[in-house]
Amino acid sequence: MINTEGMVAETAAKIYTDLCGREVPHEAEAGTYPQALWDALSENGLPLAWVSEDNGGFGADYDEVFGAIWVSAEAASPVPFAETLVANWLLDRAGIAIPEGASTFALLEGKTASVPFASTADHVAVYDAGNSEIALYKSADVPAGDMQALSPDGDVRMDFSGATPVASAATNISRRAVEALILTVRAVQMAAAIEAALNMSIAYVSDREQFGRPLSKFQAIQHQLAVAASESAAATMAATQAASALARNADDPEKAWHEAVVAKVQIGHSVEAVTVPFHQVHGAMGYTQEYDLHHFTRRLWAWRDALGNEHHWSKTLGAELAVTSPDQIWKGVTTGAWIAS
Amino acid sequence: MQRFNFPVVQPDPALEELRSELQAFLKEEREAGNFQPEPECWMASSDPGFSQKMGKRGWIGLTWSSQYGGHDKTALERYIVTEETLRAGAPVGAHWIADRQHAPMLLEHGTEEQKRDILPRIAAGQCYFAIGLSEPGAGSDLANVKTKAEKVDGGWKINGQKIWSSGAHICHYMVAILRTSPADGRNRHVGLSQIMIDLSLPGVTIKPITDLSGDAHFNEVYFEDVIVPDDCLLGEEGGGWKQVTGELAMERSGPERFLSSYITLETALYQLQGKLGSDSHARLGKLIASLRTLRGMSWGIANLLHQGVSPETEAALVKDLGNRLENDLTLQVRALLNDLPAEERSDEMRRILNIGILRSPPNTLRGGTTEVMRGITARQLGLR
Repeated sequence: MINTEGMVAETAAKIYTDLCGREVPHEAEAGTYPQALWDALSENGLPLAWVSEDNGGFGADYDEVFGAIWVSAEAASPVPFAETLVANWLLDRAGIAIPEGASTFALLEGKTASVPFASTADHVAVYDAGNSEIALYKSADVPAGDMQALSPDGDVRMDFSGATPVASAATNISRRAVEALILTVRAVQMAAAIEAALNMSIAYVSDREQFGRPLSKFQAIQHQLAVAASESAAATMAATQAASALARNADDPEKAWHEAVVAKVQIGHSVEAVTVPFHQVHGAMGYTQEYDLHHFTRRLWAWRDALGNEHHWSKTLGAELAVTSPDQIWKGVTTGAWIAS
Repeated sequence: MQRFNFPVVQPDPALEELRSELQAFLKEEREAGNFQPEPECWMASSDPGFSQKMGKRGWIGLTWSSQYGGHDKTALERYIVTEETLRAGAPVGAHWIADRQHAPMLLEHGTEEQKRDILPRIAAGQCYFAIGLSEPGAGSDLANVKTKAEKVDGGWKINGQKIWSSGAHICHYMVAILRTSPADGRNRHVGLSQIMIDLSLPGVTIKPITDLSGDAHFNEVYFEDVIVPDDCLLGEEGGGWKQVTGELAMERSGPERFLSSYITLETALYQLQGKLGSDSHARLGKLIASLRTLRGMSWGIANLLHQGVSPETEAALVKDLGNRLENDLTLQVRALLNDLPAEERSDEMRRILNIGILRSPPNTLRGGTTEVMRGITARQLGLR
């Protein structure tokens, strides 16, 4: 279980309950940005939770902040809360001053990158593994592609080739450390979205009557949702194991890489296993814009592709395991120690 | 608020020491040719000699008091022992069931004399128990029990038949669920009791059932006027249903629900080191990610059980996911092996793989079918 107790998570929970009711993601998509929600998060300093105290943040533990991320994803957050946390984490590691407002992050591939919330965030923190550099750009200075994205805040391609950063600095943080953080953040968001959509599906089939009885009374429906529930539980376990690995390796996040990849692979594969039954039990209603289900399912489709899809990561993990001794693999499976110590 | 309670529990160094001891022993036994590894070993591979060696090392009866021949350890130590023996595909079938469920049952419901007599023998790997739940008319519909125990002077007289009793042919006792009084109208859950039956008593007939591979590890057990003394009634007369469902919930989340086929993967990995192509990398990565996740869930439940919490739904989820995973593992290994020319695949590899395929159907049946597990989950979700 992701721990949603503690001050950071509880503050986030209160803000999301008050200011991100079910109509808010709809309104955001229709063009009314929930500024009040962002302002409340910001006034409480939440986007700075992972920033060191020296740099104006409050250096919160990984654990506590993952609870807040869970809460935000359960509410289908239309503001880039998790993304700003990641961006500020990167900037803090490079000693770059944290800008005001909402930010997002990018991992540079050549001169371009796929970026979530590209049109919403004021700034983009860019990690360039090839040059061991972290740079901060104003979003408005970077041309962004304009095509159908999987979700309202889904990744679009940004081209950094002609843009000038407002700040940049060398970093010694490894690509694996950055991946460990981002994959774990996504894993927590995905597990939360899966559970929220499961709850929505349970409520819907209990209410909706066909053939003279609620859909929930049909065994075919019960079993579809029971399978989805098992995938949901597994997703939460995978996300929690990854979050726990980061918390244990706060000084060296790279050591949490394997558990983060395991979570990405596990949950990425679960997405199809849950979004299919969720949509199936909702019938045509779940396919409409008016209904809420897509706030979760579209985000799940976007997140499973972000930073490489589940096939890419299965292959990456498998390639490493293919040259790892069977004893070490067993150690990883049973204790989470994937590398000989 | 998250729906399911699966705590993440870090490894404990003391338990890891125990793991190393197990690994050394199992490696030595295997290299000495004392056993041939097999998938589904906890159900289908029995070797009383091996069980006695395990008993001598103190690896059976870990969870109960030394007063009764146990080792004053916890269910977490037992978890490490069981997962290592499963990984090795060791012949642990003889003692597995008695160690897992009947010894705890006797500790709770047995007489002092029974505890002193039977528990030390279980811990020594010398005394084995069979499960007496299914009948020809009662499988998934467990409450449809017809086998009767009739009160007679000083004991119970048993008539009827149990079926699918794994290992009954080498077991000393069976704990059976029996009808001790009629059902109350449509409520069939009343009037059922758990009774321990000495399988050497007159009137007991055990007939092996041969499975599709030619093995005979499960049995039909017939009872004809079998008389057992009063103290063989375990727990409450008429309270058998509740006791049995409680027990089933306890045993659904153990490592045998998702690691039964791991030996097949590990044997393949030794053959395939450095030889896998990129499609296989993807299969391997996915498989290992699932195993790691299931291990986390199962270990989380083991820790809850250790604290006295019995999460029925979480256990049902692990069994459903785990049984699917162990069958999928065997299929994935078949695909991985394509990266090795047929003539390079060892006989050992092919033997283990074939056994794994032949033994796959019961994975999703025993201990509550997949359909029953989904029914339990659906009830928790509020759908029924």
